Amino acid sequence: MTSEKTPGQQAPSHPLQSSKLSQLTRRSMLGLGGLALAGATVGAWPRLTGADIPGRGSKALNIAILGTAADAAGRQGLIQAFTAAHPDIPVQLQAIQGADWKDFFSKILTMVAAGTPPDVVYVATEGAQLFADKLAEPLDSYVRRDAAQMSDYFDDVHPSLLEAFMYQGSLYQLPLDWNAANMYLNTTTFAQAGLDRPKDDWTKDDFTATLRALRKARPADFTPYYWTNRLFGGVVPWLYANDTSFLSETKAPGGDWLWDSFYPNDPARATRGGGYQWLGPNAEDGRVIETFDYLRELVAEGLGVRPESGGGNALVGLFGNNRIGTTPAGGYWAQGLHEAGMTADQFDVQFFPRWRTQRHQFGAAGYAIMRTAKDKDAAWEWVKFCSSREAMQLAIPKPNTTPTRRSMVNESFYSATGPRHWKVFYDTLDKFPTSGPIPAPPQQAAVETALMKNVSTAVSGSSADVRTAMGALQRDLELALRRKS
Amino acid sequence: MTTTSTVPRQTVKPPAVHRSFVERWLARIFLAPTVLGMALFTFLPIIASLVLAFFRWDIISAPQFVGLDNFAVLAQDPTVRVSFLNTIVFVVVAVILQLGIALGLASMLQARMPSWLRVFLRSTFFFPLVLSAASVSIFMRYMFNEQFGVVNWLLSLVGIPAVPWLTSPTASAAVVVLVYVWQNFGFSFLLFLGALTNIPKELHEAANLDGATGWKQFSNVTLPLISPTVLVASVMAIISALQVFDQPYVLTNGGPGDSTRTAVMVIFESAFQQLEFGKASAIGLVLTVLILAVTALQFRLSRRFVFYQ
Repeated sequence: MTSEKTPGQQAPSHPLQSSKLSQLTRRSMLGLGGLALAGATVGAWPRLTGADIPGRGSKALNIAILGTAADAAGRQGLIQAFTAAHPDIPVQLQAIQGADWKDFFSKILTMVAAGTPPDVVYVATEGAQLFADKLAEPLDSYVRRDAAQMSDYFDDVHPSLLEAFMYQGSLYQLPLDWNAANMYLNTTTFAQAGLDRPKDDWTKDDFTATLRALRKARPADFTPYYWTNRLFGGVVPWLYANDTSFLSETKAPGGDWLWDSFYPNDPARATRGGGYQWLGPNAEDGRVIETFDYLRELVAEGLGVRPESGGGNALVGLFGNNRIGTTPAGGYWAQGLHEAGMTADQFDVQFFPRWRTQRHQFGAAGYAIMRTAKDKDAAWEWVKFCSSREAMQLAIPKPNTTPTRRSMVNESFYSATGPRHWKVFYDTLDKFPTSGPIPAPPQQAAVETALMKNVSTAVSGSSADVRTAMGALQRDLELALRRKS
Repeated sequence: MTTTSTVPRQTVKPPAVHRSFVERWLARIFLAPTVLGMALFTFLPIIASLVLAFFRWDIISAPQFVGLDNFAVLAQDPTVRVSFLNTIVFVVVAVILQLGIALGLASMLQARMPSWLRVFLRSTFFFPLVLSAASVSIFMRYMFNEQFGVVNWLLSLVGIPAVPWLTSPTASAAVVVLVYVWQNFGFSFLLFLGALTNIPKELHEAANLDGATGWKQFSNVTLPLISPTVLVASVMAIISALQVFDQPYVLTNGGPGDSTRTAVMVIFESAFQQLEFGKASAIGLVLTVLILAVTALQFRLSRRFVFYQ
């Protein structure tokens, strides 16, 4: 074909139309297009081949955390300090966004499937056993080897936090931050109801009376007790307080190497083992039913909300606007409330109310070394460094979580934010040493789904509905636990 | 009147086209990226999923052949059963509402009104479709919050007590349908608007002369003439509704209980949260068969109500 004018075709009226561009043949155009495509392919080659994925093809230690790029940038100081101490270990920090831990773990597993697993992953209690069972490297030999260096860390960290990361006798993570389900109190609304801060050993009945007083003072547009439907801070703290759980809780044998070496004087030494085991459902236990029924009554009486699923993203604002009287949360809330404009005297914190016990629920997090890590010794150096006081101060400059080192939970840490009774955070472990972690077996995702869906039905109906819902929960948990993780 | 053709269908053989060797190869080269893309990113995953349905696989360990075990698990798992039932109920309610609202509003826009108002309404009705379903659902979650949501606040102004929109099984299902329909009717609306605009005015004038007005004119003239569009819109709406995920996942996370859990949600949970890729593939396979069956049924039934000019 040619570019010659065909009969009947109008002469070009625009100067551009008469330019050389219009004289290009279709073949030339195709050639140019091909060249452009080839150029674009070369330019986009790193993306097309996935070579630009952080960590791929790099010898750097690839570390994954839950968070945004800003969170990763915020840890640059930590990375610089590590690099100064270990110039031979290049480090690359990768923030992976997710709505919650479950989401984050899914993404890590997808990276594993894609052949680009990180070397080190920041894992919370929710995923500790999943990682220990499938992906993580035990730290036992490293801890034993560097026992002299590690004693400073263990001396400063409560053994319950370590026990949460033991699995079948081995230690898989060094916890760096943690939070217990304490009870936050809105002091403005307490003052309106003529209430003082409750005593340390307040009971479930005291709590109910407090909620009634709050309700009486603020009949509308106010929630005395706000709670969310999830593993942390949902129904579980109430179950623990009632000396039960929706899963049967036992401890694996082993772990003596850790307790004997680092915690010989632990008052609860006799109870320590090789890590928690949640092997069977316990939803139809009388105390579980009793606990759910109590929460149902709170909802029915208008003292507590029907729990919504997921985290409480809107909760800080609502609490700050004095529309919530009490809610369970950990030390991570201090910074959040401060940023929401609450002063240190506008909120306070107290232990969770006592029922049959005053055992608390907590969650913690720390780095796990992946079995697929390129250089496990280098990965251990990172884990060990991050457990040092210097590194933890760099990683946790503000009280947006609770550091696991007791010495860091001090007056100066909470001076800008409050609450006044910040000692409650660490005292939760010191005064209630049997406090336990979030019940999270390797099948945690299925267990959490089963719990969440039955909590909402259990607390929304009659007392008889609670029993039915617990039957359904028992069946769902049996199915969940029967699966191999 | 009828719009069916009386001319019998004939098989018309297209004229033979002789293309040069170069043209044939050029055509293949240009088609290659699309064909490769489809093969790699559509057909291969479909085949992989089909195969995976007969294995137990958790990403980390090697896949283990389990035969029909995954399908047996589906049959025993009440959550899966409920999720399919929810999906079917959702499809029936959402599609009827979606098509009804879309057709009603498209007809409304055929009425006499200033052109600026028509443009404004057209944009307004289509606007939700361009929004991200997850963002809309997060926003709606705040709006429908029982304690602090704007919806209950508005109701309280007229003395209606707070409704547990997202925490009661019935209300939460209604909210999920409502949000889904609000966000998706714009597509069917545009299809109907195009079809209604293409109906020759003479047909309505002739019907008027015959004395047909209102509903009679709509059912005997308008509806038959847009029936091909109704078929396309309903097929697309049903396929889309069978795959609903974002709205129930973000609004209610499938709850309370399993009341808003859908089949695709269970696929997601099984695969990416519980690491049961075999089970997820089996559910996906069942859902695919369901979609194919419903679509085939629609085309089969369409012979009775679709009229081509």
